[in-house]
Amino acid sequence: MKLTNRYEQTSCRLQVEGLPDRSAGQGDQTIGILTGFSLDLAGHTELEGQREHLQAMVAAVLPYARQLLSGVPRTCGAEGDPVAISPHSGRHQLELRSSQPDTPPLTLLLDDAELADLVRCLDQLRLDPRLALPFEQPPLQPLRRRELRHRQPLAQRVAAPLVGVGVLVLSAVVSALLPLQQRPTPAPAANPSAVSSPQRGG
Amino acid sequence: MPDAPSHPQRPLPRRGIERLDLMLLCAEALDLNGGEAMVWLSEEMGFTDLLPNRVELWKRRCSNPLRRTTRRDLPSPAESDALIRICTALADRLYPMLRSLLSTAEPPQLSAQRWQLFEGRLAELLKERFNLRRGGVQRLLDPQEGPTLSRELIQALAFSAGPGGFERLKASLMDPVV
Repeated sequence: MKLTNRYEQTSCRLQVEGLPDRSAGQGDQTIGILTGFSLDLAGHTELEGQREHLQAMVAAVLPYARQLLSGVPRTCGAEGDPVAISPHSGRHQLELRSSQPDTPPLTLLLDDAELADLVRCLDQLRLDPRLALPFEQPPLQPLRRRELRHRQPLAQRVAAPLVGVGVLVLSAVVSALLPLQQRPTPAPAANPSAVSSPQRGG
Repeated sequence: MPDAPSHPQRPLPRRGIERLDLMLLCAEALDLNGGEAMVWLSEEMGFTDLLPNRVELWKRRCSNPLRRTTRRDLPSPAESDALIRICTALADRLYPMLRSLLSTAEPPQLSAQRWQLFEGRLAELLKERFNLRRGGVQRLLDPQEGPTLSRELIQALAFSAGPGGFERLKASLMDPVV
């Protein structure tokens, strides 16, 4: 018998359908084989797809939300992936690429509230004990220093190196202006013939 | 208890504690009973060993260097995990309010009123409990910069609401200082 699980938020409704995987010894209420899903993003569209599309959505949207929490949103989802999401003038552009040839990608612009709804639905899906499906996503780690660098204003970022270079130039100029200590001129080579030996009186 | 943390148990850096405490303060600004809710949630989630009462909870939050009364020691990893879980549970409870603040579908006038009310309460709490000579506090109270920073905190609360937000929020609080 086909099972249906629903995850709902104000602007987002996700419904997954599937069957228990009997060969893996799953219970009657566990979805181990996903036969399809539908995602209703209110005011936008209703999407339908297969397991790999849903997995691609989890793999793109949740890491994007992680980046947003650090204040450095960046595109998640590679060129050939079915789902990609990127920041777009204060909103979030969700791009859904069809596997059918000659079908242009569907682009949706979500505001923060709509994206938060989608993230909550995907979180509920990922943590649902009634679902025995792998939703892999890269481990959530602190960002590297260079990933956070552009969170700091440019002026602050370049201030320290500029001051360093300035101090170096200034010290070079000052040291160039300092008079060099005159080396004592070497005494002219002793010419025994030119030097008159003191005559001794006597 | 939801998903177990995947990173090694390290204490949160001082900047992470600062942000976490500000997020908890935002929750208090949104909910007048936010302080009580934190204590109640701590008991409900089984953190009575780590944070047995409101004084202990307050002491952990006082590791935030922006506070008027600060503590030099940092919360242990278990204590900071408990604080993060309380924050994500509070955000979950307040999610409808967070959502309405962030939504562009709300009528602009209503949205502006909500932001004004929230920013007013946040400013009151900041003036009452925080060191006003610190640059970080002055920026939050600045009429130009403050609204942007408040929005970032509300956005962070919305994206870390619920059990799924714990790992996300913790990873972002562990970010290095640039």
